[in-house]
Amino acid sequence: MPITDIPILSMLHTRMQWHQVRQEVLAENIANADTPNYQAQDVVPPDFSQQLAMVTPVGLATTDPNHIAVQAGGDESSFAADHNQHYEIRPRGNGVNHEDEMMKLGNNQMDYEAVTAMYTHSLGLIKIALDR
Amino acid sequence: MDFMKSLAVAATGLRAQMGRMRIISENIANADSVSQTAGGEPYRRRIVTFNTVLDRQLGANVVELGQIQNDQSDFLVRHEPGNPAANAAGDVRYPNVNSLVEITDLRDAQRSYEANLNVITASRKMIQRTLDIIKS
Repeated sequence: MPITDIPILSMLHTRMQWHQVRQEVLAENIANADTPNYQAQDVVPPDFSQQLAMVTPVGLATTDPNHIAVQAGGDESSFAADHNQHYEIRPRGNGVNHEDEMMKLGNNQMDYEAVTAMYTHSLGLIKIALDR
Repeated sequence: MDFMKSLAVAATGLRAQMGRMRIISENIANADSVSQTAGGEPYRRRIVTFNTVLDRQLGANVVELGQIQNDQSDFLVRHEPGNPAANAAGDVRYPNVNSLVEITDLRDAQRSYEANLNVITASRKMIQRTLDIIKS
């Protein structure tokens, strides 16, 4: 079984690819920030709901009526939606907002670092299993 | 690798903004260049244009400088009979360059240049993170 068949690693792999593509799209937006009639573009994040549905959620058992029920698996609706709103369109018809693009660029970078860190830790788990 | 594409796209942005700064500095340098002959036309302000071009080899929308066009607005006319460039009525035509507009445009070019530099810095950091996976 190749290492990329492990669900968590394949999801992280997809996510890293998405960040790479997004970085390229953001670079295009910023490079074309002064081109007439150019509209800023973005990519939709990958949807892992199918993979997550396969994972059995682990919750806390309520063995006593006084126990507070804890919902398993966290809040699913916490993913940010792509609002795709343009704050301004300049007279030349250009819809690129520098501040907006810089924010996205920073987010993309931080998220990518988080994903690579998770990937490293996942590999670490395999190493522990292999006793290396 | 897509990060290399990001770097290449940002590099075209840097090149385009550099070309824009070159034209702006030409305008500022020639702000007082009057005609060599009596009654002739002075320096005419030049304007840069940008085009989005699909780089097929790269597979990305890069930016490049389009044709550099002339500003068709009126020249500034001053009455200076003693000036060698004056016409029969004693008027001298000065270039249609407004220093304030040029400086504002220069700031805008600088801002865009810095934005492209930020893309390069961010992409390089992300490449570094990818390499860190191998090291661990």
